[in-house]
Amino acid sequence: MFVYEKKLQYPVRIKNPNPALAKFVCSQYGGPNGELGASLRYLSQRYSMPYPELKGLLTDIGTEELGHLEMVGTVVHQLTRTMSPEEIKKSGYDTYFVDHTAGVYPTAASGFPFSAGCMAVEGDPIADLNEDLAAEQKARVTYENILRLCDDPDVTDVIRYLREREIVHYQRFGEAIRRTLEKLNEHNYYAINPAFDKYK
Amino acid sequence: MDRQNMDRSYKYGSLPERGALAVAYVPLQNSAVPAYEADEALSQGTLFPGLDLPFMNIVNKQVKHTPLTELMAIDFVIDELELYLDTHRNDREAFSMLQSFMALGKEARERYVRLYGPVQQSDMEEMDSYCWLNDPWPWEYRERED
Repeated sequence: MFVYEKKLQYPVRIKNPNPALAKFVCSQYGGPNGELGASLRYLSQRYSMPYPELKGLLTDIGTEELGHLEMVGTVVHQLTRTMSPEEIKKSGYDTYFVDHTAGVYPTAASGFPFSAGCMAVEGDPIADLNEDLAAEQKARVTYENILRLCDDPDVTDVIRYLREREIVHYQRFGEAIRRTLEKLNEHNYYAINPAFDKYK
Repeated sequence: MDRQNMDRSYKYGSLPERGALAVAYVPLQNSAVPAYEADEALSQGTLFPGLDLPFMNIVNKQVKHTPLTELMAIDFVIDELELYLDTHRNDREAFSMLQSFMALGKEARERYVRLYGPVQQSDMEEMDSYCWLNDPWPWEYRERED
């Protein structure tokens, strides 16, 4: 069960609409390293997790990622809240606009619509947590690439905040691997999949 | 926080004395202190100076202090401590820090709700009308800063 809070996790107030920026920031809404994939990955991986630390962490980070999805959607919305046809053409937002107008649609900047193919649920805690470590690094790099292309401080502060969250999450997933190892056979961590097999 | 004059050990965590082969190790964060003040934590995107690793060393400007950002900052510290406790469930000090921020959060939320309306639908228990629908919604650009 989820309860909605009518506030963002971090403030977003973008004074100047600028569809040229929305054209690539939207990738963190529905692109391969975006927040939709992040929240779905963690909230889906939870079900097979064998230990309470892992169930709790994936629930809490997955929930936070939903908040980040809302923040990125907010950035895209505010960047495109007023646009003239001339601005739409000049900014290159026309290819997005023709299908979605000023709506927020989950797609990669390249135009590829959101795909669950960008995430994995292996049903094995070590494999899933390694997937999560990689996912946080990839999202960090995507936010850094956005920072390289973006010069509006109203946008970059939000992006820097979201990027820093990837680093914190990376640390927690790494610790979650350590907590998992503590419960496994120290002479062979791969003897079984604790999400599926039982020790004999 | 005075980062210049502090010993930097908070930037390092602990690894096992002997690590098994063929598995990834991330050092465990040893403690939930030192920690930033709530406002600074929200601005930086982390409560923990040891995890604060900005790109190109460019740091965010401090978030402007308003009743809304005050609530955001406290709720952010709570979120951050909960993630820490998910992997450090026996850290009593971090748990009491979490509890004191929960108490602060309750007060900040009540203040905000009195000024600007419900954050959750359950905040309307003693209100006169169904003001949940009042603008602005969180994604909308607002001239005024709440």
